[in-house]
Amino acid sequence: MVTLLGTLSLWLTLFFSISQFFSLKKNQSLKIIKICVIGLLIFSLISFFTLMYAYIVSDFSVLNVFQNSHSTKPLIYKISAVWGNHEGSMLLWILVLTIFNFFIFKFYNKENFIFISKTLETQAFITFGFILFTILTSNPFEETIKVHADGLGFNPILQDPALAIHPPLLYFGYVGFSAVFSMSIATLSLENNQKIAWYNYIKPFAVIAWTFLSIGIALGSLWAYYELGWGGWWFWDPVENASFMPWLLGTALLHSLIIVEKRKSLQTWALLLGILTFLLSMVGTFLVRSGILTSVHTFALDPSRGLYILLFIALIGTYSLILFASKSKRYFDNNYFAFFSKEGSILVNNILMAVVCSTVLLGTIYPLIVEAFTNNKISVGEPYYNSTVIPIIIPAILVMGIGPILGWKKEKKYEILKKILPSIFLTIIPTFFIFMIYQSLSFIGVIGILLSFWIISNNLMMLIQKNKKYHKGMIIAHLGVGLLILGITGSSVWQKENVSKMKIKDTVNIEKYNIVFDKIEESVGPNYVAIKGNFLVYDKERNIITKLKPENRFYHVENNFTTEASIHTNLLRDLYIVLGAGNINDGWIVRIYYNPLVIWIWIGAIIIFLGGITSANINLKKLKTFDQ
Amino acid sequence: MKKNLLIIPSIIFTFVLLTFFYLLVIERNPSELPSNLLNKDIPIFEAENLIKNKKFISTNEFGNEIILVNFFATWCKPCRDEHSYIKQFNNNGIRVIGINYKDDPKKTIQWLEKLGNPYSDIPIDKHGRIAIDWGVYGIPETFLVNSKGIIKFRHVGPMSKKVFKKINLLIKEIK
Amino acid sequence: MKIKKKFITITSIFLVNLFAFNLYGVEPDEILKDQKQEERARIISKNIRCMICQNQSIDESSAPLAKDLRLLIREKIKEGKNNKEIYNFLTERYGDFILLKPPFKLITFLLWLLPFVFLFIGIFLIFSHNKKSKKV
Repeated sequence: MVTLLGTLSLWLTLFFSISQFFSLKKNQSLKIIKICVIGLLIFSLISFFTLMYAYIVSDFSVLNVFQNSHSTKPLIYKISAVWGNHEGSMLLWILVLTIFNFFIFKFYNKENFIFISKTLETQAFITFGFILFTILTSNPFEETIKVHADGLGFNPILQDPALAIHPPLLYFGYVGFSAVFSMSIATLSLENNQKIAWYNYIKPFAVIAWTFLSIGIALGSLWAYYELGWGGWWFWDPVENASFMPWLLGTALLHSLIIVEKRKSLQTWALLLGILTFLLSMVGTFLVRSGILTSVHTFALDPSRGLYILLFIALIGTYSLILFASKSKRYFDNNYFAFFSKEGSILVNNILMAVVCSTVLLGTIYPLIVEAFTNNKISVGEPYYNSTVIPIIIPAILVMGIGPILGWKKEKKYEILKKILPSIFLTIIPTFFIFMIYQSLSFIGVIGILLSFWIISNNLMMLIQKNKKYHKGMIIAHLGVGLLILGITGSSVWQKENVSKMKIKDTVNIEKYNIVFDKIEESVGPNYVAIKGNFLVYDKERNIITKLKPENRFYHVENNFTTEASIHTNLLRDLYIVLGAGNINDGWIVRIYYNPLVIWIWIGAIIIFLGGITSANINLKKLKTFDQ
Repeated sequence: MKKNLLIIPSIIFTFVLLTFFYLLVIERNPSELPSNLLNKDIPIFEAENLIKNKKFISTNEFGNEIILVNFFATWCKPCRDEHSYIKQFNNNGIRVIGINYKDDPKKTIQWLEKLGNPYSDIPIDKHGRIAIDWGVYGIPETFLVNSKGIIKFRHVGPMSKKVFKKINLLIKEIK
Repeated sequence: MKIKKKFITITSIFLVNLFAFNLYGVEPDEILKDQKQEERARIISKNIRCMICQNQSIDESSAPLAKDLRLLIREKIKEGKNNKEIYNFLTERYGDFILLKPPFKLITFLLWLLPFVFLFIGIFLIFSHNKKSKKV
């Protein structure tokens, strides 16, 4: 029943995407297009919720549910299991595509009729490609052959609240860029007499996609931080890079659109970014899902899937880039601007983002290229990225602090100096005091803290001035970045670690804390059993600060272990404890980390998200008034 | 000139996609790594011999004949799966040296009594150091060493029919 | 989608048990008494890839082979070997693949050079743009 309904609605979405494409090609009436757009949305909703229903009621006649669920699993993880596997996540991907499709449709009016039509045409084609992919290679509604009493379970490490909402947010980001892509294609294929203010349409979508991508990446990092058990939160793993690259280009795109809007300059560049951002999202999908990288991080090791995605990318990539090569000349301009101006700073931002993105892409695919052309294999890991990416990012952050204050066109140099004097003051003084107090001089540490205060003070100054010419969303988001840098610097430069074997009642010192291993106990969760350590944390005056209870869980259905770190957070530092292997007689291996300023990473990310939402809101309103 | 630059993105894109495509179509096991010791002399080592009462000294044993070196352990299930292939090599007259990786000698002897012993010598690698010298990263691993003591082939993981055939072909070739 | 790092070991059914499940890294019994030597060992281990893991250094891995290598590195340090000798020892056996920071060689030439080329092109673009703006 479920499989029938699901498969049927999936086929109907395929039908509607085809008819949307052709009715737009044939210039059918708005009514027919409306039917297609709404039909597409409704049936992708039905297929998505059908699968969710199958998970909730644990219908093990559906192969996908059987393989990824178990009746004892908590409800929230039954729901998140829908997108916790390859096939189900494709349904979510399609759903988000159709949601964006619907919102683009909502923008129809007399002036933009051709532009929106062309956008929806491309959007329909992308949607069609993904639905066909799902039906052909990864149908989530396949039936099991045998009857099963219970499912195989769900990877316990995915049973986690942050990871439950991480994919939907990330997909809103990735797929949001599909709207940007379609609009860029539409822009390029408009005739000269049909030109409209395309950037006003792209901008809100770019901002929304970027915002969700940012928070999605942050959630993934947050999860890595508390689940992986050693206090790190970014690994330069190919899968992380797959989301970081579109983020970088998306950042460049957002900023370049400001110049396009204000100065009608850099239009070609912005259109290229619009295309590349989505293509990179797709390449990321390919890298993750084709098994070409050998990670178990990846969903599936099925070459036919990889081949399909690759052909699809090749198709839309070739089409879009050739279109770009042949049609974008029309968007050239001769509006050059000076280096010391707002545009100048945005150009620097754009170029540096593009350089970082190219470097990350190079690092990610270089091992594959080496393997393809020689008999060697090499690894490109964290040390490579640290030594290439960080030096390029530093000037970008410097410029980010002063860019927004600069005037358009041209600014006199002493004017600039006058403007940034207070924030230079505000940057250096606190940095100086911090290093006086903590007496830890590390080169990267000093730079990180300086950059962070530089961004924060500049944005606080803008906030205080209440000047209307400063975009509110921008200030908030930039403030978030400042805080983020603070957190990144603190946690990566001054992390302290203590690894020791502890018996009950043993004490360990880390920084100014004494940590006592009080007891160990067993506990039982809904679908796991665990041993839980009890640690008492005292400060120097022997006042108790907190109790930390790290766990080792055993999930019997999946026959897997997970470790749950226990973290005490305040604004200055995290105390982070992980329980390792051990027994009563010999003691347990206990890892304790003192991670300074980590909380500011997450606060920064949330503020960036809020800034993004504010900006999206402003841009949408602008577009509406513009339309009327 | 500027107009010609517009074609650059498509060129880079095509190059990257072609690389992906190539890697996707060739028969490739992404987890298999090339051995750095290929066509090099075997690492010199000495170890206790599980089935003989004298030390195993590599310089005395290698360099006269083709030898198959097999890293194995009783706790590794795939080793049991490939055991029949290893025995076939022995039956075909190829000398097989089994390096016993991080194992219990008693268990190993029982294991071999039960499954049959194809090994002429069994050097004991108690701490896994010999394995590191050979660049071993997965058990079982099998090396083909020619009569000059040079490593000609390395296979990671249990022997399959295909690998068995491949090694036999190689043996014929280097004889 | 991410799957916990500790499971990011090669799961091909045929490669068995040189790796375990948990991501832990350095264990207390490995730690050297001499703090300076220990610090050196940590830095080296952070640059050595866990061969059977996905993009993970032996410093972060609980795979038995990673532990063996960590111990080996510490032994070499105690023997008075310098960092270069230790890296060489490892690459002789496992190839360049074991280094997380690829060495500068013919095949990695572009990997290390291109970021600079990108940056150079970028700076060039900014300057040429600035120059043109003065003409207008």
